[in-house]
Amino acid sequence: MSALRIRGLEVRYGSHRVLGGVDLELGEGEFLGLVGPSGCGKSTLLRCVAGLVQPEAGHVEVFGNPVRGPSPEVGILFQDDALLPWRTARENVALPLRFRGASPREAQEQADRWLRRVGLEGFGDHYPSELSGGMRKRVALAQVLAVRPRLLLMDEPFASVDAIVRHVLEVDFCRLVAEAGTAVLLVTHDLEEAISLCDRVAVMSAGPAARIVAVYQIPFGRPRNPVTVRAENEFGPLVRAVWETLQVEVARMGWELSA
Amino acid sequence: MSRVLGLTLFLGGWELASRARWLDPFLFPPPSGVGWVIYELVRSGQVWPHFRVTVTEALAGLVLGTGTGAALGLVCAGFRPLAEVVEPAMALLNAIPRVILAPLFVIWLGIGMASKVALSFLLVMVVMFFATYTGIREVDGRLVERVRTLGGGRREVVREVYVPSVTAWVASGLKVAVGFAFTGAVVGEFVASSQGLGYLLSFAQSTYNASLTLALIALVVGVILLLFWGFGSLERWWLRWKPEYRSRRACPKALPRTVRPAEQVP
Ligand SMILES: Nc1ncnc2c1ncn2[C@@H]1O[C@H](COP(=O)(O)OP(=O)(O)O)[C@@H](O)[C@H]1O
Ligand SMILES: [Mg+2]
Repeated sequence: MSALRIRGLEVRYGSHRVLGGVDLELGEGEFLGLVGPSGCGKSTLLRCVAGLVQPEAGHVEVFGNPVRGPSPEVGILFQDDALLPWRTARENVALPLRFRGASPREAQEQADRWLRRVGLEGFGDHYPSELSGGMRKRVALAQVLAVRPRLLLMDEPFASVDAIVRHVLEVDFCRLVAEAGTAVLLVTHDLEEAISLCDRVAVMSAGPAARIVAVYQIPFGRPRNPVTVRAENEFGPLVRAVWETLQVEVARMGWELSA
Repeated sequence: MSRVLGLTLFLGGWELASRARWLDPFLFPPPSGVGWVIYELVRSGQVWPHFRVTVTEALAGLVLGTGTGAALGLVCAGFRPLAEVVEPAMALLNAIPRVILAPLFVIWLGIGMASKVALSFLLVMVVMFFATYTGIREVDGRLVERVRTLGGGRREVVREVYVPSVTAWVASGLKVAVGFAFTGAVVGEFVASSQGLGYLLSFAQSTYNASLTLALIALVVGVILLLFWGFGSLERWWLRWKPEYRSRRACPKALPRTVRPAEQVP
């Protein structure tokens, strides 16, 4: 059974047709990268899968069940680490556990364990404003992973941290998610990141009415180190191939804007 | 520290100037003289009934105004058509100097405590209405989505997002409202009354008693500062998650250690 199956997905904001028939499939435990010109509808696609946006047409299935709203099987990590500012790191991680009926003590213990796993032992009592950007990302990651989603949606999760922290986060993230066997749909504007992390990379066309125009198979196996994999021989040609497809779409968007 | 020093210098200079007769001590009585009047007022017990009346009026206005303003803000934020009527009215009330309504309240409600409570209520209510209304409308939609995708329902969204973000606004509103509550009470008494600190003030004014006037002003300011401090501590505790209220704690700069290798989490 596939983790995610999207067929003919169309989404409209008022008269603006954002997605015009997206087809996409994601196997269990697979990492799929999604790149596309900004504003083409990548976030919209993720929000449909998360059950936050109602599609106009087409259907979205997660593990064989049509999406009708937020589901416990689907975790989502947004670009801005939207932690609750009035809750400590521990309370933030415990939150989804509490929603699922864990007792306060049980939730706290699990939250502490997850904080330790993401390398934040001893920071449980800190409020998000007391943590660095990279640390907040880790808390957010612990928060979604704590309820063991089978499908994880990530919307440019590492976009706002500096390059070194990002690489460290990528390595940690790969390990954690691979251990859990979670399927991942990763939206990013950094195609090297997409290639270094994912099993396949899909390129989306420029909007309006965006679709998937190409899907690239990434030949590197997993587990892999997403930083050192960039030094592999095949990496360069892959980046160029994906970029050439993406470039066409970016150029099309430029034409669209000036028209 | 520099504030204490500044105040000391100011009062000391005033004391000196007044005693040396550079300032007319009748118009500018020395601080020590004012202090003596306050002491006498308190010691003789003369001031207590008035004090009690003013504080009662202000607190009644504060409680009623906060309750009504918050409730109205809540309902308006949830019910658009009502907001379209109430919000402009509140904005108008906010724009005018509301104390000019004091004479009207005296005509309607008499010179007793009711007219002062009404004025105080009005001042507080407008502030708290906007605090609540804005607080609800400014709720971060991303946090709502966050809680929903983490498995929270309506109740959880209200508890985890709406309540904390609105109380942050209300807490800041309350500090302003405390000052307004006393403004309402004292100004109301000043306009027409038979008791209260504002009444004493108007009496002191009519007898050109600068010492008594200053003593009463100092008393009112003292009470408000005390309440400010109280509400301020409450706010600091309640909003301790905000960076600007954070108790000093070493901010972690170092990159945390990387993830531990496979550890089983149930
Ligand atoms: N809530 C919304 N209402 C109206 N238009 C929206 C909304 N969200 C996004 N859009 C529009 O839909 C398009 C796709 O947005 P988005 O999915 O965020 O793109 P991406 O994530 O690929 O940058 C953009 O043109 C954006 O302006
Ligand atoms: Mg986006």
